[in-house]
Amino acid sequence: MKSTFAPASLSPAFYRSRRRIAPWLLNGAMLVVCFFVLIPVLATILTSLKQQTDVQRNPPVLFPCDTPDGQFSLNTCRWSVEGYTRIIEPRPNAEALLGFEYAGRMVSVYLPNTLIYAVSGSVLVTALAGMAGYVFSRYRFRARRALMIGILAITGIPLLTNLIALYRIGVFLRQTFPGYEERLYVIVVYVGFFLPFSIWIVKSFFDTIPRELEEASFIDGCTPASSLIRIVAPLAAPGLTSAFLMAFVGIWNEFIAGYLLVGKATLRTAMFGLYDFIGQFVIGYQVLAAGCIMVAAPVVIMFLFFRKTFFRAMVEGALKG
Amino acid sequence: MTSSAQAASAATSPSQTSHRHIKEGFFSRTLPFWLLLPSILVLIVIQVIPGLFSFFLSTQTFERGEQIFVGLRNFERVFSSSAFNASLFHTLFFLIGYVALTMIAGFVIAQMLNRKLRLSAFYITVIFVPWVLSDVVVGLIFRLFIVPDYGLFSAFFADPQIFPPRGISILTTPAAPALVSGVPFPPAPALIYLIFASAWKALPFITLLILAALQTVSREVIESASIDGADGWRTVRYITFPLILPTLIVALFNLTLNGVNGVGLVFSLTGGGPGTATEVLSYLLYTIGFGRLDFGRAAALSVFMAVINLTLILLTLRISRSEREA
Repeated sequence: MKSTFAPASLSPAFYRSRRRIAPWLLNGAMLVVCFFVLIPVLATILTSLKQQTDVQRNPPVLFPCDTPDGQFSLNTCRWSVEGYTRIIEPRPNAEALLGFEYAGRMVSVYLPNTLIYAVSGSVLVTALAGMAGYVFSRYRFRARRALMIGILAITGIPLLTNLIALYRIGVFLRQTFPGYEERLYVIVVYVGFFLPFSIWIVKSFFDTIPRELEEASFIDGCTPASSLIRIVAPLAAPGLTSAFLMAFVGIWNEFIAGYLLVGKATLRTAMFGLYDFIGQFVIGYQVLAAGCIMVAAPVVIMFLFFRKTFFRAMVEGALKG
Repeated sequence: MTSSAQAASAATSPSQTSHRHIKEGFFSRTLPFWLLLPSILVLIVIQVIPGLFSFFLSTQTFERGEQIFVGLRNFERVFSSSAFNASLFHTLFFLIGYVALTMIAGFVIAQMLNRKLRLSAFYITVIFVPWVLSDVVVGLIFRLFIVPDYGLFSAFFADPQIFPPRGISILTTPAAPALVSGVPFPPAPALIYLIFASAWKALPFITLLILAALQTVSREVIESASIDGADGWRTVRYITFPLILPTLIVALFNLTLNGVNGVGLVFSLTGGGPGTATEVLSYLLYTIGFGRLDFGRAAALSVFMAVINLTLILLTLRISRSEREA
């Protein structure tokens, strides 16, 4: 990038030569950057596929493929899925689906819980943010500005500040109401946490839809409500999708709220489970690595499929907000 | 917040006439209010009331099941404690390292990506993977690198020739003796390692933000600058930099906010240790509140953090607004 002082009188050949070299160099540099960014992920995948004896080697080995005399040989690779089986704990059971039941808490309890929280939470966030974002984008009323700034200010309350109060409110609810549903409380809390950001994203997407379309629909006899459902909602689908995806990933990855607010062991989240593993598998590094992969894989795959939607949502959310 | 009531009155007021030609039924006229209501209710219940409740808790103390009003004494006790002092410095060191590292790396990578390479989309996707990983996963991944003896990097850190005099183990080596008493400097290796792990996770987002801003800088401006004789560095310094400054500031505040509030990574990477070497403010808040169950003092600390956050957000808002109007 840094070049010597180049007066305007330099020949066109000089510029051409610069252009020809630059992409080659830049591609090389970017590949190096990508490699360094991915090292932690790749190393974790490799660790998750080792045996107990291979994760406890000093000095450590990257590939469990060395012969006893220290030679590298592909024939001696000792790959293993032990880390995964210790988490999943499959037990043969003729009556269960596929002939196995899965006894590991991560598979039977934590991941299903997280899926429930993430799906229901993000559906609610999307619905609420869709309605609120529409109003902020289309209507002009006196309290609009105040409300929008209020919502932005809410994002300034640290999570832990709210959690101290929400924790005590949860304890109070549990003691007062016998039929208290912890799961519902956690979902509502997640909705509250991810709503402000989503409203901003959805609003900025609505802002890009021309008003003329709606006005035309009014002339054709639509009420505002039916115009919202028939004309605007389909056009706003990309915005709503991004709100949904961002909220889904956010809730899936959320740790501290789930950790503090969920009391019942059967309602704990996947991130809690993973954190719990640190104390449980003190030297089972391959188990910890396998746990990381299992918990992260769903959202990583989701991201790879919808990456453009994610990118757009993030830029909109950060810059317009 | 009384604004929901205001919204209702505003929505029904005759000045709201954007759809004058429609038959104005009650439902149509008040539609905006009904659409906003659920969001506002949720936000009041989950954010506003708990926020205020924490503020209230910060003036209370709990002794033998009784709740007593103590005014500002919780604040006094928190601010005068040595744990708060140390964790304030930990947070400060962490923030400086984390923000500087992420901003510089993000800026350089975004500059390279902005050259419209054929594989740019691929690079961005790869670089972005850390962003979708949760704090707990990132902390755990980086923890696996440095577990004593068996981590991939442990041997490197334990090498006495690279880290004299005896090599270090990130998870157990405490900070060197403080140069100035009361200021925990130099920080422990674990805190520096925490900076790298956090920067790794934050890098994608910052790169994307800066890249988005760079793409709004027109090619012509850059080219005319180089025709006028500006070299690469000067173009960046005098053309690109001022043009994307607002975004850089947004990125900076974003990073600072996340840095102040993020706690999941500390949990799974170091657990605040060794000792209290990586106890940043948010982790201290957790240990006071949920470790020692001293909600009054934890609430006082959380109010202090909320003030930092709100100041940062208002500053960002002001800067981005003044830029938009300019």
